Order: sequence, then structure tokens, then C-alpha cells
Amino acid sequence: MIAAAATSIKAPYIDWAAFSPIVALICGAVIVLLIGLLPGRRVREQIVPGATVLTLLATLGLTIWQWGENTSIISGALAVDRLSLVLNVVFVATGLVTVVMSLRERATVQAGQGEYYTLLLASLAGMAVLVAAQNLVTLFVGIELLSIPLYVLCASELQREKSLEAGLKYLVIGSVGSATLLFGLSFIYGATGSTDFSGIAAALSSKGETIASNPLMLTGLGMAVVGLGFKAAIAPFHQWTPDVYEGAPSPITSFMSVATKAAAFGIFLRFMDVAVIDEALTWQPLLAALAAITIVVGNVGALAQTSVKRILAWSSVAQGGYLLVGIVVSSAAGLEATLYYLVVYVVMNLAAFSVVVARERETTHGDSLSAFAGLGSKRPILAVPMTIAMLSLAGIPATAGFIGKLNLIGASVDGDYAWLGVLIAIGSAISLAYYLRIVAVMWMPDRRGDSPETDRPHGQPEIIGLAIICSAATIFFGIIPSPIYDLVRGAGESIGLL
Amino acid sequence: MSINWYLAVSATVFCIGAAGVMLKRNPLVILLCLELMLNGANLSLIAFSRMWGNGDGQIFAIIVMVVAACEVTVGLGVIVALHRRRLPIDADELRELQG
Amino acid sequence: MSLSIIIWLPAVAGALSLLAPRAVAGRLAVVGALATLVLAVILLVGFDNSAPGLQNVTDQNWISALGIHYKLGIDGLNVWLLTTTAMLFFAAILFASFREWERPNLFFFFFAVAESAVLGAFCAQDLILFVVFFDLMLIPFYFITGMWGGEGRVQATTKMVIYTLIGSLLMLVAAVATGVIAAEGGQPLTFAISGLQQAGLSTGTQEWIFLGFAAAFLVKMPLFPLHGWMPDAYRTMPLPALAVFSGILSKVAAYGFLRIVIPLFPDGAAHFQELLLLIALASIIYGSVMAFTQTNLRLIFGFSSVAQLGFIVLGIFALSPRGAEGALLQMVNHAVITVPVFLIIALLAARSRGSEDIREMGGLAFRAPLLAALFLIVSLATLAMPGSSNFIGEFYILLGVFESKTVIAIIAFSGVAMAAVYALRAYISTMHNRVGAQATPREIGLQDALVLVPLVLVILALAIYPQAPLKAAQGPAARSVAKARLALDPLDQRASTQKISQVTP
Repeated sequence: MIAAAATSIKAPYIDWAAFSPIVALICGAVIVLLIGLLPGRRVREQIVPGATVLTLLATLGLTIWQWGENTSIISGALAVDRLSLVLNVVFVATGLVTVVMSLRERATVQAGQGEYYTLLLASLAGMAVLVAAQNLVTLFVGIELLSIPLYVLCASELQREKSLEAGLKYLVIGSVGSATLLFGLSFIYGATGSTDFSGIAAALSSKGETIASNPLMLTGLGMAVVGLGFKAAIAPFHQWTPDVYEGAPSPITSFMSVATKAAAFGIFLRFMDVAVIDEALTWQPLLAALAAITIVVGNVGALAQTSVKRILAWSSVAQGGYLLVGIVVSSAAGLEATLYYLVVYVVMNLAAFSVVVARERETTHGDSLSAFAGLGSKRPILAVPMTIAMLSLAGIPATAGFIGKLNLIGASVDGDYAWLGVLIAIGSAISLAYYLRIVAVMWMPDRRGDSPETDRPHGQPEIIGLAIICSAATIFFGIIPSPIYDLVRGAGESIGLL
Repeated sequence: MSINWYLAVSATVFCIGAAGVMLKRNPLVILLCLELMLNGANLSLIAFSRMWGNGDGQIFAIIVMVVAACEVTVGLGVIVALHRRRLPIDADELRELQG
Repeated sequence: MSLSIIIWLPAVAGALSLLAPRAVAGRLAVVGALATLVLAVILLVGFDNSAPGLQNVTDQNWISALGIHYKLGIDGLNVWLLTTTAMLFFAAILFASFREWERPNLFFFFFAVAESAVLGAFCAQDLILFVVFFDLMLIPFYFITGMWGGEGRVQATTKMVIYTLIGSLLMLVAAVATGVIAAEGGQPLTFAISGLQQAGLSTGTQEWIFLGFAAAFLVKMPLFPLHGWMPDAYRTMPLPALAVFSGILSKVAAYGFLRIVIPLFPDGAAHFQELLLLIALASIIYGSVMAFTQTNLRLIFGFSSVAQLGFIVLGIFALSPRGAEGALLQMVNHAVITVPVFLIIALLAARSRGSEDIREMGGLAFRAPLLAALFLIVSLATLAMPGSSNFIGEFYILLGVFESKTVIAIIAFSGVAMAAVYALRAYISTMHNRVGAQATPREIGLQDALVLVPLVLVILALAIYPQAPLKAAQGPAARSVAKARLALDPLDQRASTQKISQVTP
């Protein structure tokens, strides 16, 4: 009987090759954790980060190996296509940068190197799962695998109260978001009888009724958007962002601000543009309103801040609003514009955060604006990358941010949402007020009373190198944007958008 | 029996949880309420699973339980760490970060 | 000759001066600007006035995914402006290199980059490329004002950037929309200005796109009531930078109307013609009155700029070939006059312990006859003395307006009269009257004379032979406004088509 049952089980076919990037991340996480148990300072400080980097490089290699693939694996649970592969590259790059930023971080010592880097890898694995998910179950698993390690990482600087508080706050709010998302997903399942994105799309189109006439589906979609909105820090679900960004250790803040954002927008794109694409006319106005609110709230919120990390937190909210515009128009052009902007955003934000991390260790001012006073003459090697990052975030020409905005505006006009394009322009103009404040503090200090700076020149060539690489890339892609176009081209078609 | 009854119960549980998260001060209670929210969703998943006659919802619910356990574990860990730093276990007293 | 060389030469020199030792930074920038000027003059000499269409075209794919080209070219609209820009930047950089600056490497780097950006904006023949250069030319001035400016510089420069970028970001949206909407019929996406001329956007679309561009240009000039950033920025910007900023950057905006807005959005231009004429008129009157009430020399000429640009916009939006030609001539004139004015202000300030207030100056003419003579010529040119090139420019402009909007032309004429009042007031109170309390009369130095005398000679040359820029402008100016004229007065169709067939090959 048992034997008969056993023979009748038909396991789903797993395309291990396509699945390999995620497997590599998870195996790497386990291995790093085990290495971290070995005794010895050298093991902790060199081998553990080294193994993490190796894992990431292996993942990158496997991702590139699978480049051009467009399949769905494990009974349709995950999709390996241009969208997920591009984002995998983004995650791996961010992971590498975060490892480098963390090398001299107190948090790694306090939390234990093995654990710290394992959590980082686990979170990356969650992101990889999330952006590949094309099933409600994998979506939820991905989002939790992404979030739970991040809660811990936020709190990983155990000796600093702010860090612990940030961790708890993020945990509570993140979990509320997850629960809301889950409740929404259950309704979507209830309305369509399927957890599969394509199944949902099929059910919606076969019924021939709009979401608006189906309260179950409407509620479910609304709650799912709210839940994803929490993760992506879309206003009005962004309130946690400044606090958590400020409290978390800076490398983790930088990681959250780019990788988490990329992951959240990745699944947003896939969910909206695959599962419920037939109902685009119903949800477009809703998302457009959210995008508008997010752009305004993020930019206005940043104006009054004095901590650079908080400014960057609000700015990341605003940037999320720009990204949302590409989702609203639900076209291939929109998807590629969002993806393009995500790649660019990662590069320029990492440049900014590497300078913040470097300054935090050099001064006693932490991340307040005064830590940057007169940086232009004192440390031009840090001031120039920061300036480039700020100008790029504001969308000044000859930086990558400009081309990114160009794409988004083009997509918005193309999708008959020109007013969102205008809003992007106005938001960018407002954002100049705070980006330029940072630039002004660095380059245009008061001539009288240069604040007596207690610099502790700190050997940290790796972070300065990061800042230079990222800012150079920002300029490079602003002048020669075609490599990123080549990267994202076809992402829209790969998930079946026109 | 109409599925609406099950949905009503699950929505009630979810709302109780949500209200608790917003109103309660003690992080332990907040964690409890988070569990309530997740379990409210679980209930509706299982009800829908029964309605559609397929197992997807039940599998989903089982996975959610695992995830919920992880979340609580992490939450408790952070609370213990806060306690070790002798910080008040009261969400309103967490004033270092001003939202 | 490739226009790219002219455009990027200053920036390369600037980059070199960034790396060079402090002492030679200025000289390197001067050499770069001089080489650019020489090339620009060669270009002007080789320019063929009779050939229609663009010359010296560079056309390369820049962002192929969006159909954005790196397309440069010159024609009668921009060739004179290009040469003027090269000349004036050279003068300003030379003037600046005679002075001491903190961190000179950075200063000259920014100055040179600004020149590249302005030249690029004049040459760009692709909408997006134009927007890129247009925004880019602001950034060096942001840093120059913020780092080397006077009191209140950070606030002033931030205000300036935000004001102007609101405008230019709206222009970016408008530019993108132009390309995207024009491609909606299935044509390939292009932003080339020549390609878009055939697009034929609907009137409603043209109207909102027009507003986007107008916002950018009117703020940049600036015209009343969008000049809010101007007084603060003018008060603090270092004078050599202010000279080119006021003299040249404002012309990029005026040029943008003729190059882009009117040919591409003729219906929009016709629809908003009266609004723009009224704004121009208001600027003429407001600028003149304010120039008369100010005592700070920078602001006197800042507000005078507002009035002068009012005239230029008046000429452009007369939407007649006459007006457009006059506007183009006046752009060159005003640029050539403004730069020496601000350089002279720097000299005057140096002779009154840094004060730029006319109440503290005076009586320089006796001890400094050459300086006084230079200032006199410039002042007379500013007030459009008959015989000066400005007179011809303003005459053409008023003539163009007079044809269609008589009342506006008559009111605008009062601006000419008021210009006489404020220009002479500034001249008399600095050069004549009693010697000011702070003033120490001193003749112009040899180095500064080397900069200023040739500039004033150029003014005189233009006065004697204004036909040169006019001749170049004639055909393109008429082409630029032809469609808008048609939109304005469909009954005039026969005459207009005749005109178009006359000027297009």
C-alpha cells in the first residue's frame, strides 16, 4: 500500500539549472553560518566575508549563465525571465557592496560575523524568490524570507538602543504589512480559486466581469497593494521609513533602501502586469493616486530633516513614487522604465550611502548634516561622489538619474498619464531643495567659524573606492546609457506585456 | 453553510489583531496581535480552499504558520535584547526615534 | 569642422586646469577659450548665408532606445550667437584670470564647463540634447555663485537653481511629450527638431507643451513675473560670471523660442501670442521702472536686462519675420553690451572699496577718461541711441509688432525712452558728480583695458555694420515664424505659403 502510494507520487520536475542562483544563495547562507562557528579572529574577519563574496559571485555567475532564459520552474512557482534575472544582478551587486561596507562595521562584531552575513544572504535569497514568484504562496514566502532576516539585521547593533528600536519597529510594521498582504492574497485566492498568477489572470478574463463588480477581488487587490506598499515604502504606508533607516546600521540602511526597494517593486511589477493586467483600467487610477501622494509626501517630508540618513530615507520614499509611475502605465515601456530607474537608483543611492558610512566613522557627528560641513575642501575625494549622487538623485543631466527620469516621463506620456510626468518634474524640483542643501553644506560652508572638526582619519580605502566606483558609474551611465538599456530590454515582453 | 460566516469570523479576528497592534503598548501583546492578524488570514484561506475544493489554500495556510513562527521568534529575540539593555518594554517609551 | 570640437574644447581645457597647478589654472582656461573663439570665428567666416538648412551637421545616435540623437548644426539663427558666446566667454575668463580667486582650479573649471554647456545649447538640434545642455549650464553657475559669491550666496544660488529647474524640468516633460506624442501614429520615435517639424501635433497638445517650454524660457531670461530669483542671484554672483550669465544664458532662452517653440508648436504660439506680448510689455515697463529706482549697479543692469529681454520676446512674438530678425540682432547686441557693463561694474566697485552702490561712487571721469569713455559708449548702446546697433534691433522689433499690434508697440516705445533715463543716470552718477566718499578715482589698468577695449570696439563695429548678423538671420527667422503666422491668420494663407516657398529651397 505504502509502496504503491510512493510509486504514484509524481514530484514536480525541477529545472535545477534555472533554479541554481537561488540554490546558490541558500547553500551559501548555510555554509557561511557554519564557517562562522569556527574559532579564530581571522576566520571571522576574513574568511566569513570572503565566503559571502564567493557565494555572491557564484550567484552572479549562475545568473549570467541563465541569461536569456524565459521559463517557469517548479510547477509554475517561480519564473526565470529577464525581469527576475536583471533584478538578481541588482541584488548581487547590492549584496557585494553591503559586504564591503560592513567590513569594519561594529554591528558585525556585535551580532557575530557568521550570523550577520548569513542573514544578509538569506535576505538576498528571499529577494530572488520574491521577484521570481508567480504564485501567491511563493510571493508570500519570498517576502517573509526577505523581511525576517532584515528585522534582525536592523537590530544587529546590539549595543545601540536606536538600532534595537529600529529592529522592533520594522518588525511590527513589516509584519502588519505582511499580514495585510496575506489577507488580501487570501481574498484574491477566494475570488479566483487559484494561487497562480496566470490562473488568476485566466479566471479574471474568463468571468468577463470587472474587479469593480467583484467586491472580494477588489478588497483583496486593495489589501495586497497596501501590504506591498508597506514593503516598498509607498505613502501613506511609509511612516516607518525615516525611523528605521536612521536607526539601522548604515550598511543595512543602504541595503534596505536599494535592495528591498528593488525587490518590492519587482514583485509589484510582476503581480500587477501579469496577474491582474486585464483589470488595469480599474487599478491604474488607484496606483496613480498613490504615486502622486508618494512623490509629494516624500519630497516635502525630506525638507525639514537634518540627518542625512533621514533625508535619504524620505528621498527613497519620493523615488519610490517615481518608480510607481512606470507601474501605473502597465506597458512594456513602463516596466522597462521602472526597471531602468531601479538599476540607476541602486547605483546612485549606493554612492551616497558609501559616503555616509565613511563619514560616520570619520567624525563624531554621526550622520547629521554637520558631518559634511566643508567636506569639499577637506575631503574632496568623498565630497565629489556625494555631489554626483545628489545631483543624479535630483535628475540633473549628464547623470544616470536624468536618463532614468527621461524614461519614466516618456512612459507616462505614452500611457496617457502625462500629468504624472509633470508631477515627476515638480517633485524633482522640490527635491533639489534638500539635495542641494547637502551639496551646499559640503562646498559652501560659512567662511567664518568653520566648525572645529574632530576628524579621525580612518583607513577605509574600500569605502572610498566604492563611493568613487558608484559615482563614476552614475556619470558613465548618464553619458552612455546604452548598457543599461541592453540590460533591461525585453523585460516587458518576457512577461507578456505589449 | 454560507462561506460568509467563515469570512466574517476571519475578518473579525484580523481586525481584532489590527486594532491590538495599533492600540496596545506592550510589545509582547503586539506580537500576539500580529499572530491574530495572520491567523485571521489563515482562516479565510482555509475557508476558500474548502469552497473551491482544491488544496492550494490549505498548503498556503500551513506555510503561513511556519512563517508566523519565525516572525514571533525574531520578535521575541529583539524584545529580549531590548530588555537586556534595560529598556522599558513599552512601545510608547521607545522615544529614541521620533517618528 | 566638427562642432563637437568647439563645444567640448573649453570643457577639456577646464578639466586640465582642474588638474594643473594653481598658478596656471586660469591661463589654461584662457587658452581653451581663446582656441574656441578662434575656431568659432573660422566657422563664422566659412558660414554660407545663402544656403538654407543646417550646416556643419554632426548627427550620431546617442540613446537609440529613445531615438535621441547627438545632433549639432548651425544656421543663421545660431551662428552669430555661437561666435558671440565664444567671444564673450573668452573676455570674461580673461578678465577673471587677472584676479585672485580662492581655489582657482575649481573656479576656472566651472567657468569653462559653463561655456561648453552654453555652446552646446546653441548648437543642439535634438530636443532632448537641448534640454540636457540647457540644464547643464545652470550647474556651474550654481557652484560659482555658491562658492565664490558675496553675502547670502547659498540661499541665493539655491533659489536660482530651484526656480530655473522647475521651469526646465517642465520643459523636459514637454520635450519628451512632443517626441512621444508625435510618434503615436506609428512613426519611429525621434526628437530631432527638424524631424518633429512635420509632426503636426493637435492644437490642444501644442498648447500645454508650449506652456512647458515657455515656463523654462521665461524663468531663465527672466521676465516679469518669473524673475523672483534674479535680484538675489545678481547681488551675490561674482561679476565675471554674472557678466556671461546675464549676457548669454538669457539668450539661450530667447533663442529657444525661435529654434524650438515657434516652429514646432505654431498653433500654441499663435494661441498664446497675446499673453506673451503682454508679459513682454510688462517686463519692459517693470524692468525699466525698477532699473530707475535701484541704486545697486548690478541690479540697475539686472532690471535693465529684464526690460531688454522684454523687447526681444516682443520681437519674437510679433510672429513676423521683421520682429524675429530684430530679436535675433538684439540678442547679439544685448549680449555684447551686457558683458562689458558687468566687467566695468567690477572695475567701478574696485574703485569704491567694493561698494556697488551708485550713491557712493562718482567723479571718476576726470581721472579715468578711458574708463569713462568705455562706459559712455556702452551706456549709449544700452539706451539704443540712434546709430547704435541696438537702435536698429529695437526698430525692427517695434516695426514687427506695429504691423499687427499697434497699441502694444506704442506702449513698448515708452520703454525705449525709459532706458535713456536709467542708463544715463547710472553713467552720470558714477562718472560725473562729486567724487564719492568711498571713491578713489583710478584709470583702467592695462590688462583690463585689453579685455574691455576690444569688446567696445565690437559694439562700435556692430553699430556701423549691423547688416552682418541681420543677413544671416533673414531667411531662418522668416522660416521660424512662417507656420505660426499661418496659424495666426489662416486667411493670409496665400501670402504665407508664398513666403514659405520663397525661403525654402
